[in-house]
Amino acid sequence: MSVVAKATYFFRTALHGMWHAPFVHVIAVATIAIAVFSFGLAYGAARWVEALLSSIGGEVQMTVYLAQDTPPEQAEELARALASRAGGGARVVPKEEALRRLSSELGGLGGALEALPVNPLPQSIEVELPAGRRQVGEVRELAEKVRALPMVAAVDYGEEALARLEAVARLLRFGGLAGFAVVVLTTVVIVSATLQLAIYARREEVEIQKLVGATDRFVRVPFLIEGLLQGLLGSALALLGLWLLSWAVGSELAEAFAFLAPAERVLLIDPRRAGELLAVGCGLGLLGSLVAVRRFLRS
Amino acid sequence: MIQMFHVYKAYPGDPPALSDVNLHVRKGEFLFLTGPSGAGKTTLLKLVFCAERATSGQILVGGRNVARIRESGIPYLRRNIGVVFQDFKLLPRRTVADNVAFTLDVLGVPREEARGRVMAMLKRVGLEHKADSFPLKLSGGEQQRVVIARALVNDPAILLADEPTGNLDPALTIEIMDLLSDVNVRGTTVVVATHDASLIARYHKRTVQLERGKVVADQDGVKAARKMASGE
Repeated sequence: MSVVAKATYFFRTALHGMWHAPFVHVIAVATIAIAVFSFGLAYGAARWVEALLSSIGGEVQMTVYLAQDTPPEQAEELARALASRAGGGARVVPKEEALRRLSSELGGLGGALEALPVNPLPQSIEVELPAGRRQVGEVRELAEKVRALPMVAAVDYGEEALARLEAVARLLRFGGLAGFAVVVLTTVVIVSATLQLAIYARREEVEIQKLVGATDRFVRVPFLIEGLLQGLLGSALALLGLWLLSWAVGSELAEAFAFLAPAERVLLIDPRRAGELLAVGCGLGLLGSLVAVRRFLRS
Repeated sequence: MIQMFHVYKAYPGDPPALSDVNLHVRKGEFLFLTGPSGAGKTTLLKLVFCAERATSGQILVGGRNVARIRESGIPYLRRNIGVVFQDFKLLPRRTVADNVAFTLDVLGVPREEARGRVMAMLKRVGLEHKADSFPLKLSGGEQQRVVIARALVNDPAILLADEPTGNLDPALTIEIMDLLSDVNVRGTTVVVATHDASLIARYHKRTVQLERGKVVADQDGVKAARKMASGE
């Protein structure tokens, strides 16, 4: 028994099979190509949306309003404590600065504030939250702890906006996963159906193989190699399509949305992502052929 | 080499295809299995190479009880049994050499070595000059010789032939039977299922006669030949 001889035989048989039934294999390759292309697009879009969400999330900060009579030294001390607890930065905004900001935000009406006998605004601490601590639950928990501290009058952290952002991200993740599952299932069904046609066309060959002593594994391997090659070809086509699309509209898209997310090519295929998509394509081909050949051998 | 003890084979809704068959084929023996169509000849051969399972009874092939063999063990049993089919079962899109090499591919024999063994086998059946032809370009007798070459190329201990001359004219029939006799002389146990009485009369080999799934006669070559010659 020679492993090399068997491997050579398996590849020869797989290529022979593909050569003699090109139509069914073209259908399978096209199906995988469309699936991987859609997946690549969705993957690219998801990454871009994630970047968008995280850039919006960057705006999230917690404002802690202090009681009117809090001495500035104590405010500074509290800011340091909050910075270390939040794991980010914290800065004291004195009453005067708060008034200045309000005045500039009111524009022409800002002058009216000068008529006030005393500055009614409290001093506050602006706490910046690091990327990993922007989940609604975590921010809420931190806010509750801060609210319980002496000297703290109120805490504002844009709870509603954060919750909405989280819901959008959750929906996108769930939708992406569901879409991926549907694409995988559809592709496996189509690929296995086309491969079943290919196997059916070679049923006589399989029958003779079994009569001369071939094991099920021996019969199965060439068909699995066919599935793998289909996956490879399909995903290579999909990568080419994604690359062409990135080249054609990627930079324009990124530019159009530059006000929301950093300007880069939205659908750029980097080597790591290309490798992942190739693996997805090969997996789809392999799974489709596995289903088809198992069903055939059982029958 | 092949032993059968009280073997039954029944298909749902039909009378038994084989009923209480007891048979002992010795190593190196040549056996004719005869009887009218539907007597159970093909079923008996199928039980030997596990294309079918016996309903009851024991079957020993080379000392192995095939009635108890697991599904995964069947391929290894078949590697010791060459089978010649009446309908040839050749792959039309593969050359003669590739068809014969099919058996060696399954065993993982390297291509160069397989080519040498295939050519030697084709020479033995007189077809070395047709190695690169396609089966459909060959005559019926030549196709049957390719099937015999495929069955023998891995040197099996047993050769089963189901009506190997059923589709051939008398001259080709003698050619194929001479070839099978030669295979037997070289040590292979040969079992030939046939309903052709002239073959039994001509070759003087042990003959087991089946009728409606039962063994009705088991005669040595001379007796069987006489019986066939007298038309009994």
